[in-house]
Amino acid sequence: MITRRQILQGAVAPIIVPSLVLGQRAGTVAPSDKIVFGGIGIGSRGAHDLSKLLNINELRFVAICDVRNERREEIKSTVDQKYGDRGCRMYEDQYALLARQDIDAVLIATGDRWHTPLSIIAAQHGKDVYCEKPCSMSIEESWALAAAFRRYNRLYQAGCQRRNGANFALCKELLKSGALGKLQTLYANVGPSVNWPPVPSRDWLAAEELPSKQVLDWDRWLGPAPWRPYHSSYVRGGWRNFYDFHGGGILEWGSHTVDLCHWAAEFDDMQPVEYEPVGANTGPYKVNCKYANGVKLVMRDNGWDGSLKTGSCSFRIEGDQGWVETGDATKIECSDNIKPLLRPTESASLALENHVKELVRCIKTRQSPSASAAAAANSHVTCHAAFIAYQRGKTLTWDPARREFTSDETANHMRSRALREPWRV
Amino acid sequence: MQQTTSPATTPQPATPKPPEPPPAFQEGGISTMDAAALIRIITDANSPEFKKAKACQRIGELGAKEAVPALAALLGNEHLSVYARYGLEPITDPSADDALRAALSKLKGNQLIGVINSIGKRQDAKASPELARMIYGPDADVARAAAAALGSIGGVSSSKELQAALAKTSGMTRMAVADASLVCAERLLAQGKREQALTLYTSLSAAGVPQPVRLAAMQGIIHEETSISRPR
Repeated sequence: MITRRQILQGAVAPIIVPSLVLGQRAGTVAPSDKIVFGGIGIGSRGAHDLSKLLNINELRFVAICDVRNERREEIKSTVDQKYGDRGCRMYEDQYALLARQDIDAVLIATGDRWHTPLSIIAAQHGKDVYCEKPCSMSIEESWALAAAFRRYNRLYQAGCQRRNGANFALCKELLKSGALGKLQTLYANVGPSVNWPPVPSRDWLAAEELPSKQVLDWDRWLGPAPWRPYHSSYVRGGWRNFYDFHGGGILEWGSHTVDLCHWAAEFDDMQPVEYEPVGANTGPYKVNCKYANGVKLVMRDNGWDGSLKTGSCSFRIEGDQGWVETGDATKIECSDNIKPLLRPTESASLALENHVKELVRCIKTRQSPSASAAAAANSHVTCHAAFIAYQRGKTLTWDPARREFTSDETANHMRSRALREPWRV
Repeated sequence: MQQTTSPATTPQPATPKPPEPPPAFQEGGISTMDAAALIRIITDANSPEFKKAKACQRIGELGAKEAVPALAALLGNEHLSVYARYGLEPITDPSADDALRAALSKLKGNQLIGVINSIGKRQDAKASPELARMIYGPDADVARAAAAALGSIGGVSSSKELQAALAKTSGMTRMAVADASLVCAERLLAQGKREQALTLYTSLSAAGVPQPVRLAAMQGIIHEETSISRPR
């Protein structure tokens, strides 16, 4: 057995960690080698992510796992066509894919219910992860995700690609430079209620005849979500309308926009301490939040493109000397005094490409990507807390150190969801 | 200064609108019922599966300890077991632990695994001896769940059980034991039991331990031994 002394002697200096521990596979991979990727649960959004991965030369995508036969076939076809061979292997069982020693990292783009459990299982198998958002279904899952990636020293890039969007970065820069003055309020546009009500339905759809397991493995599709009878609408994307599969409009966009606010303000390690829900479950809604340092965060349903037409997933920063706002339309709206400081930026649509490239760079250097598990956990806990406040219909106060609501026991009971057996986080 | 812009509006996704749920599958008034009414639904033999499921979820939010017997009775139900645990897990009263522990000897397969997972989440140390035995049982999935739960519970006793199991298990079960040991070491550190945690990390650094765990354990040692914030 290796002793602690021997392990420490292996480190060049007390604070310089050997590359082995930093995560490079023991003696088998030189940084110049191709990074090998697999994918789990790749639907329409995942296919978009995959298209960016396939364009990276130093990366090779070798395997797809999905509970749906047609999706496995489609992704294999896409990948094989790109590489001009038949090398992409198909799997029904994620453990079989994750057991492959040659795979360095996985793209996870399943439904939300699977994101945290699968990401943790991947980390336990020594894989780095790119996972679509939302990254968790509850406050408890958010913490478990961050803990697992810290424990295994694996890299995690949440699908919060706007952190690599130039127009978003310029807004952050304007705050950091002091041009906006002292930070007063952050605005995160959340999912419009016409698309995703803040509180999804807890109902079930009528049972339909279950397809054969070869076509769709319903048990595995449900995964950690509570059991319910099969209906084809869920599988076609309708799952987003139901509480057991989805965190509502706040999490749907907040996982992007609250995340942007935290990134821009460098609040990646803090959550608001107060959440005040405003509005009903139909029509515009918002949650007014406050951090311990006095800065406010307003999660608001501001329509699809925002009232200033800055595009979907907009966010806004207000300081005491100026304000900026931007979104997926790339353009930046701002107060008059800030206009001279603006410069052209590349299109927001390039954010995803930049984001996956950042992960690939980080896999080589073992540096943490910008949308790390810890950062994602922080922004997701904020969204979940707002979601719970909205469901409770009352202002809640939150103790970040104790990780609990201070004024409402029912809210504390809603911090976690039971996972269907045998799954756990 | 001119900005590069995309079209002023960004396209909305085609979100499929689901069909209307049938009346029998609509939660309706269950969402606002008190604990007594929810317990009546759960214990009524004539209540449909859907209503029982929703009542379990809502009673978990209320955290009503008087619901423990009703919820415990559903732990063996293939479809409703997860809902019963949805109800039990948030109940802070020790009677919820008692009910979950009692179910360990009555269930098998996935329902047993679910109960073990809930025990781990609740960190019920009284279940540790039974969980330690289960690591060596015939059902490998149950064994892995038991190891994970022991890790979550933490403590010196769990640490010793997991260290022993590391030497006696193989394959996926050993991987689960190793992962649970990492979690246990973190729990020990949080409890101020530094030496025990480092002993556990060292045992996980041995050849033959799954590589991701071995590397994580080495990182744990280096982090702990080189931490500048540690009192010396």
